[in-house]
Amino acid sequence: MKAYLQLTVSQLKLFARNRQMLVFTLFFPVFFMLMFGFLFNNDGPMSLDASIIDQDRTEASQELASRFGQTGVLNIKTSDTEAAALDALKHNDLGLVVVIPEGYGDSLSKFAQVSEPSSGGTNGGSAAVNAGTPAQIRMIYDSSNLTTAGMAKAAVNAVTDGVSKELVHFTPAVTVAEESVQSQQLSYIDFLVPGIVAMMIMSNNLNGVAGQIASWRERGVLRRMQSTMLRPSSFIAAQITARLALNGVQAVIVLLIGQFIFGTQVRGSWGTLLFFVIIGTLAFMSIGFIVASLARTPESANPIAAFLSFPMMFLGGVFFPIKNMPEFVQKIVNLLPIAHLSTAMREVMNTGAGFASLWTQTLVLGGWMIVAFAIASYTFKWE
Amino acid sequence: MLLLDRKHALIIAIPQYRLNQDNGIVAGMERSTFIQNAINRKSEVLRVHADDRVIEVDGLFKKYGNFTAVNGVSFGVSRGEVFGLLGPNGAGKTTTMEMIEGLRKPDGGSAKVAGHDTRTSLRKVKEVIGVQLQSTSLFELLTVEEILRMYASFYPRSVPIEPLLDDMILQDKRKGQVKHLSGGQKQRLAIAIALINDPIVLFLDEPTTGLDPQARRTLWDIVLRLKERGKTIVLSTHYMDEAHILCDRICLMDQGSIIALDTPDELIRSLQSENAIEFRLPDQVDGYQTASSAIQSDSHIPPAAGADGSEAPGMLMGLLQHIPGVQQVELRKDTYVLYTSDLQATLTNFVQLMSERNITFTDLRTRTATLEDVFIHMTGRGLREE
Repeated sequence: MKAYLQLTVSQLKLFARNRQMLVFTLFFPVFFMLMFGFLFNNDGPMSLDASIIDQDRTEASQELASRFGQTGVLNIKTSDTEAAALDALKHNDLGLVVVIPEGYGDSLSKFAQVSEPSSGGTNGGSAAVNAGTPAQIRMIYDSSNLTTAGMAKAAVNAVTDGVSKELVHFTPAVTVAEESVQSQQLSYIDFLVPGIVAMMIMSNNLNGVAGQIASWRERGVLRRMQSTMLRPSSFIAAQITARLALNGVQAVIVLLIGQFIFGTQVRGSWGTLLFFVIIGTLAFMSIGFIVASLARTPESANPIAAFLSFPMMFLGGVFFPIKNMPEFVQKIVNLLPIAHLSTAMREVMNTGAGFASLWTQTLVLGGWMIVAFAIASYTFKWE
Repeated sequence: MLLLDRKHALIIAIPQYRLNQDNGIVAGMERSTFIQNAINRKSEVLRVHADDRVIEVDGLFKKYGNFTAVNGVSFGVSRGEVFGLLGPNGAGKTTTMEMIEGLRKPDGGSAKVAGHDTRTSLRKVKEVIGVQLQSTSLFELLTVEEILRMYASFYPRSVPIEPLLDDMILQDKRKGQVKHLSGGQKQRLAIAIALINDPIVLFLDEPTTGLDPQARRTLWDIVLRLKERGKTIVLSTHYMDEAHILCDRICLMDQGSIIALDTPDELIRSLQSENAIEFRLPDQVDGYQTASSAIQSDSHIPPAAGADGSEAPGMLMGLLQHIPGVQQVELRKDTYVLYTSDLQATLTNFVQLMSERNITFTDLRTRTATLEDVFIHMTGRGLREE
């Protein structure tokens, strides 16, 4: 018991004094969170760079151009000529080019004159519309990018539709009241922060344990302890305790940073969250011990651990939802512990889920923990 | 005139476990007072403790694949004795020690420490031994004091840390992290850790390898003080001077086997020569004398040209063997070594012979025979092979 306590305290001191390791293991996830958070955390719809080429230069054309600027979707950039704008479009600097050709103002006023009487009379409307030629503008967009193409079409249609309707004093017969179906407003950062915590638990333990144990074994640190009366169980228990403390503190720090900078919240219970931090730590520590045993040298332990953790980082639902992946990839990914750890953390934080709805994640993570621990204790060697 | 061939020497040396009847000081030519004191201390303690075996090693055998690291080693270590394992790298010293410590499982034979068999009661063995491994690695970021407290917690009983720090001259380093310690300080810390459980037997595996001379002396002094307090110490080294100064008995090992086991003085006495005369011939290349005259500036004379002086090495060695008092002649690299029991007669005759034959020699020196000579005599190789 005193050996266990002494080793735990010693390990915590080692953590505290290894500044480089602390900085790396804590700032790496925080850096990821800040980077991805600021890059992709755009509330509201995405915006599209567009350029309006006004060749008409009338009051009507300027009015139309300003309406494009007010959509909130289009980010208007100035281009001198149509050719320059098209060039920019080809180089993906723009997503949309709208050309208001010469004569737009004239056509519009002619059309307005023809249709004007129809607003007064109820019968002549359709005839009057047919009589005038509609004013025409041109939109050029990149059809290969479906998202921006769709946005461009929708924005241009909305603007022109508005102008048309105003011109003919159109009164809608049916209106749509918009309501959001999501009860809570979740943005990408709400998805990201739990994933970052899961990633941190994985890399700290898998890579950290594998590297440290392999290096201690290589340098004979473990061998020296083996020649004392220290029991392996005390040593491993102390390792687990110290790492749990470290990971718990680091998880809380990351969650607090997420809360203060991005306003993410823990909607479920902290107890449930902590449970998954613990079970995740144990599962990945055991895998780390296995890697340390498999690696012949400490130089090979780190690459092996990276080989395991890197794909898990990108496929395991840390940064991107697993649902967006191809079907066969999903089947594989759903076997990985990281997928269940990030999902569980996410559910607890975002929807306030309890154990009742997380039993799949608990079972899979628990299974990984037990199997990996069994293999780890079977393969563990002091030297 | 007794010329011992190597096989013969081996047979003579093998009868072991000779009692240490004679613990007197060898009248060495250049013995420092340090060494004399050391030998004085050794003999006193040895008389106090009689034949009380703390370690019993019986037929230890270890193989790695096809390589036999330890080939049936047997010996016993008495309480209070400093027992040395001396041999070149790869002789099996470390493997032997680690099998006694229980760190390696022997493929054959047994080892008992304080009556506990390493195969059946390893925890009991670990409780009564202290181990300093050849390359002790500790947590670099812990302080000396923290490391000691940590290792103390691994045992049911441990000694107070303060006196241990004093003994190991680490008092002013107690708050210093391990990574800032010098090589000698690290080694002393390793010994402090090995003593934390107040062991009956202390194992020191090459404790001074890689240390500077000052640090070595400090460590020797520590070992001798531990011995004064009655600690049994098993020490491995490839420095013959270290073995001579520290050890009551030395077990000479080579290629996994014991080739001799006795007190340092008895081992040297087995050479039957107390002194050695060394010299070189100028222009000697790889043991073959190419030039005979003193003229070195123009030495492209074929060997046959010089009439008397152009002895082939074999012939020269034959001549040297017939000098009065010479018991043995060896050519090591480019140095001739004459072992003699009568230094004065041999030296006089040697100088005379060389003058008569018109042979120029350089780098003449005389010295007392050492354990290194014993080892070379028995194996044909030095303790530290280049």
